[in-house]
Amino acid sequence: MSRRGRLLLLAGWLLVLAGLGLLVVQRLKVSTDLRSFMPAPTTPDQRLLMEQVGDGPGSRLLLLTIAARCTPHEDHAAQGLSPVTPCAPLPADQRDAMLARLSRGLVAALKHDRRYSQVLDGSFDLAALDSSLLPYRYLLSPTLDTQPLDEAYLADQLQQRLDDLSSPAASLLKGLLPRDPTLEVLKLAERWAPPTPPELRDGVWFSKQHEALLLVQTVASGFDPDAQRQAIGGVQRAFHALPGSAFAQLQFSGPGYFSVVAAAQTRHQADWIGRISSVGFIALLLLAYRSLSSLLLSALPIASAALAGIAALTLVFPQVHGITLAFGFTLLGVVQEYPIRVLSHRRAGEDALHSVRALWPSLLTAIASACIAYLAFYASGVNGLKQLAVFTIVGLLAAGFSTRYLLPRLLPTRVRDVADMRWLALARDLVDRLPRPRWFPVLVALAITVMLILAPGPFWQNDLAALTPLPAPLLQRDARLREALGAPDVRYLLILQASTAQGVLALSEQLQPRVDALLARHAVDALELPSRYLPSAARQLARQRKLPEQATLQRELHTALQGLPFRPGLFQPFLDDVQTARSLPPLTPQRYARTPLGQRLAAMLVRRDGHWLGLATVSGVHDVAALQALGACRTLVGRAANPSVRSIFPPLRRPIEPLWADEASKICPRTAEFSPRPPKPDRLLGAGSGGTVRLLDLKAASESLVAAYRTRILEALLAATVLLVLTITFALRSLRRTWHVLAPMTLATFLVLAVERMAGIEISLFHLVALILAGGLGLHYALFFERDTGDPAEQRRTLHATLVCVLSALLVFGMLGWASIPVLRAIGLTVSLGVAFHFCLSILMAPHAKPDDARQD
Amino acid sequence: MAPLSAVASGPDITPASARSATQVLIASLGQPAPARTAFAEARFMHLLDRPLVVSGELAWLGGNRLQRRVAQPHAETATIADGEVTVQRAGRHARRFSLKRAPQLQVLLDSFVALLSGDASRLDQAFEIQRHGDAAQWTLLLIPRDANVAGSVASIEIDGRGKQSRCMRMQEADGDLAVDLLGPLAARMPAQPTREALLALCRGGS
Repeated sequence: MSRRGRLLLLAGWLLVLAGLGLLVVQRLKVSTDLRSFMPAPTTPDQRLLMEQVGDGPGSRLLLLTIAARCTPHEDHAAQGLSPVTPCAPLPADQRDAMLARLSRGLVAALKHDRRYSQVLDGSFDLAALDSSLLPYRYLLSPTLDTQPLDEAYLADQLQQRLDDLSSPAASLLKGLLPRDPTLEVLKLAERWAPPTPPELRDGVWFSKQHEALLLVQTVASGFDPDAQRQAIGGVQRAFHALPGSAFAQLQFSGPGYFSVVAAAQTRHQADWIGRISSVGFIALLLLAYRSLSSLLLSALPIASAALAGIAALTLVFPQVHGITLAFGFTLLGVVQEYPIRVLSHRRAGEDALHSVRALWPSLLTAIASACIAYLAFYASGVNGLKQLAVFTIVGLLAAGFSTRYLLPRLLPTRVRDVADMRWLALARDLVDRLPRPRWFPVLVALAITVMLILAPGPFWQNDLAALTPLPAPLLQRDARLREALGAPDVRYLLILQASTAQGVLALSEQLQPRVDALLARHAVDALELPSRYLPSAARQLARQRKLPEQATLQRELHTALQGLPFRPGLFQPFLDDVQTARSLPPLTPQRYARTPLGQRLAAMLVRRDGHWLGLATVSGVHDVAALQALGACRTLVGRAANPSVRSIFPPLRRPIEPLWADEASKICPRTAEFSPRPPKPDRLLGAGSGGTVRLLDLKAASESLVAAYRTRILEALLAATVLLVLTITFALRSLRRTWHVLAPMTLATFLVLAVERMAGIEISLFHLVALILAGGLGLHYALFFERDTGDPAEQRRTLHATLVCVLSALLVFGMLGWASIPVLRAIGLTVSLGVAFHFCLSILMAPHAKPDDARQD
Repeated sequence: MAPLSAVASGPDITPASARSATQVLIASLGQPAPARTAFAEARFMHLLDRPLVVSGELAWLGGNRLQRRVAQPHAETATIADGEVTVQRAGRHARRFSLKRAPQLQVLLDSFVALLSGDASRLDQAFEIQRHGDAAQWTLLLIPRDANVAGSVASIEIDGRGKQSRCMRMQEADGDLAVDLLGPLAARMPAQPTREALLALCRGGS
C-alpha cells in the first residue's frame, strides 16, 4: 500500500474512532443503580430489597460527628493564617459550647436544603410542627385516648403549670401556656425524639467521646455514590462556611458515606495499578517488537473495541450500568492478543497482510467462538448480562476485523522475524522436549477433584459486603455511633403492607402494643413504627370525637381555674385551638409531607404496585426470632365502622371486617384491639383490605439475590460452553483437535477454581467474570498451540506471540492481584492464575510439533 | 459549708488603686464553694393576676453548677449543670432541657456564680455593670451583653449591704419581674407581696 494510501487509511480510522468517541460522550449515561444490573427479583423480599437497596430510611442516614481539634484547619496553617504551635485543649464547657454552636449552625444551614430530608442534632425545634398544624396536636397526641379534656384533668394540669411557672422552666413554657396548657406540643416532641437519644450537652447530642452528634437523612439513595458524594460535599461546604469550623473536625459515617469511600478507594487503586501496569505493558511490547510505530498502531484495534462496544451499548440501552463497563473492560482484555499475534507472526520482508491471512483462520475461530459463547449471556434475560454481551461481542468483532483488515495495511513493511531469535529457538526446543504423557489430564482432573472436595469453608461468597473495601476502624466507628445515636440497623426492616396508606397506619397502630412488649423484654432496643409520626385517620377522628364542645370546655375550664391566679381570658387561644381541632379533616400523609416531620414519615410510607408499605426501622436486634414472630402475624386493618372515615376515604367505604389468616391466629396473641370473628373465606385478604407484616432481612434477601444472579450466570456459562464446543468442532472439523483445544482450557479453568478454593477463597461473581476472561485467553493459547503448520519457524512465532500475551496478561492482572481492594484482587488473582494454568496446560496437552510425535500422541 | 452571711467575717480585700470600686465590691462578695443561702422569690407575671411566691434554698455547688431547692409551697429541685437544667418534682419524672433554651437561667447562672465566686471579669464578660450607692448600701445593675439573652432578660439588679447580697431583681423583657430575697431577708417575704413593697424591702434601711 502506498504511503499516501496508508496515511489516508490511518486518518479515516482515527476519524471513525473520534466519531464513536463523540457519540459515546453525547449518549453515554452511566447508572450506578444496582437494580439495572441485577436480575429481576423473584420473591417479594427480593423485590422489596431491589426497591429498598439504598432507598430504605436506614440506608439513607448519614451519621455525623463534630469533634474539637486543637490546631486550626491545615488550610489556614498552610496559608500562614495562624501558627501551627500546639494549643492547650479547651476547657470542657467551652469545647462543648463551641461544638454545640457548630452543630446548631450546621442544622440551620442544611434545614432548607432539598438534598436532605431530615437533619437532627438533638435540639427540639417547635417549628418541626408547622404553626398552621398546631391545632392538630390534639389529634396527633395520645393524650385523648385515655384522658378526656374534663374539669378534673384541666385543674390538675393548671396546678402543674402554676408550679412550672415558679420553676426555672417558666421561661420555656410562658409563651406556650395560653395556647397549650396541657403541653401536648411537648408530649409530641418527646414522642418524636429518637427512641434512645444520646446525652444532651448544651442542647445537642454528644457522644461519650465528646463529639457533637448529628443525623442527616439524604433524599438520595444510600448506594448511589455520585448523589451521596454531592450530599456529603454539601454538608462539608455548609460546615466549613460556619465561623469557628477551623477548630473542629467534621466526620461522616453510614452506608452513603461508605459507598463514596468504597468507590473512591477502588477507583484510586485501580488507577495507580493501571498506570504502573500500562508502563510495564508498553515496555514489554517495545522490548518484544522494537518498533514504536507498531506499538502505537496496535493500540488502535483495542481502542476500536472499547469505543465500538460502548457506542453499541449507548445505541441499544438507554442507560449503561457502571458494573457493566467495569466487567466489560475486564473481558475486553482478551483483544490485546489480536495485534500481538499479528506482530509476532510477521516474517521479514513479508507484507503484513500475508502474515495475517495465514493466521486468520485460527484468530477467526477464537473470535467467532467467543462471540457465539457470549450470545448465551445475551439470552440470559438479565439486563446487566445483556449489556455485558453486547459490549463484549461488538468489542471483539471490532478488534478482530480491524486487526484483520485495517491494521496490516498500516504496519511498516520491513520488520525482523522473531523466529530468527536464538533464545526463542531454544525455548521452542525446550517446550517440544517436554514430556506429554497421556495420563497427565487424568492426573490434573483428579487433583482438581480432591482439592475441591477438601477445600475449607463455603464454596460461594454471597455477601456483597465481604467485597466492600472498608477499613475496620471505619466500621467500628460506625457501630459506635449507631449505638450512641440509637440509629436504625441497616439489616432489618419491618414491613407493613396494606392496600392504602391509612391501612398501613392502622396496622402500625395495632402492632404498637406488641412492639411495646418486645421492647419491654429487650428483644430489640428500638422499633420505630410509622404511626409514631402520624396516627391513622380513624384514630385521629376518634380523638376528635373526644374533644369537648366549646361551651362545655369553657365551663369546665372556668371551674378548673377557680382559686388559681391565672389572668381571666388567658386561655382563649387554647379554647380556639380545641374548637379548630374539632372541625379539622384528619391530617393525611400528603398534607403532612410539607413539614419536616412529614418528610420523615414519607421515608417510612411508600407506595408500590398499587399498595402501600410501611417501613419500620429496627435498632439493636437481640432476638431475631421474636421479631420474625411479629412479622409472621397476619394482621388486619381495624374495622372502619365509623361512617365519617368512610366518607373521607372512599377506598374504605366498604365496611371492613377483621380478617384472620389461620396460621396467624395460632402464632399471634389476640390483643384487645382486635375484635376477631371467624374468618370468612370470601372475605379473606383478596378483599384488598387486609394488611400483612413481615420482617425483611436485607442481608438474607441480598444474598439470595446474589445466589439467583449467580445461577443465571452459571446457566449462561453452561449454554456458552455448549456453543463453544459446537463452534470449535465445526471450525476445526475434528473431534480430536477440538479435544486438544478445549480439554486444557476446561481443566485450567477448574484448576483455578480448585486452587483458589484450597486457599480458602470463597467464589464471588467477580471471580466468575475473571474466570470467563481467563477462559477466553486460554482458548487463544490452546488454539494457536494446536495449530499444526508443520513449519518450525511458524511454531516459534506462535510461542513468541503466546509468551508476549501471557507476560502482558500476567503483568496487568498480576498487579491487580496485589491490590488491597477485594474486588480488584479477586479479578487480578483469578486471571493471573488462569493465564498461568491455561498456558502450561495448553503446552503440556498440545500435540507435539514434530509430525512423528504428533502421531504418537 | 459557708453561709452567705459569713462573708462579713471573711478576710478583708486590700483595695488596689488599679481596680475599680465595683471590682473590689464584687471580689469581696466571693466565697468558697459550696455556698448556700435561703431565698424567697416572688414572680410578677403577665399571665397571672397575683404574684407567685416560693421559698427554699439556693446553692452554688462550685463550677457552673447551681441548685435551687424549693420547699414552699411544693417541693421541687432544679439543678443547672453542664449546660443542662433538670427540674425534679416529687412523684414526677424529671424534666430536662438545655440551658440555651432558657436565657433567664443562663443570666441567673452567670450573675450568681460570678458573684458567689467573686469573679468580676466573668461578670463583666456577660453584663454591662453599673454600680449605685456606697459600700454600706449598694445596688449593682447588670445588663446582658448578649443580644439574644437581652431579648428575654432586660436587666438584673442586685442590692446589698457591705459584703452581703440581700436581694436580686430580674426584669424580663416582656415586663415580668422576679424578686428574690436572699439570706436573712428571705424570712421577710410578705404574704401578699407587691412590686413596690419588695423594692422598699430590698432598698430599705431596716
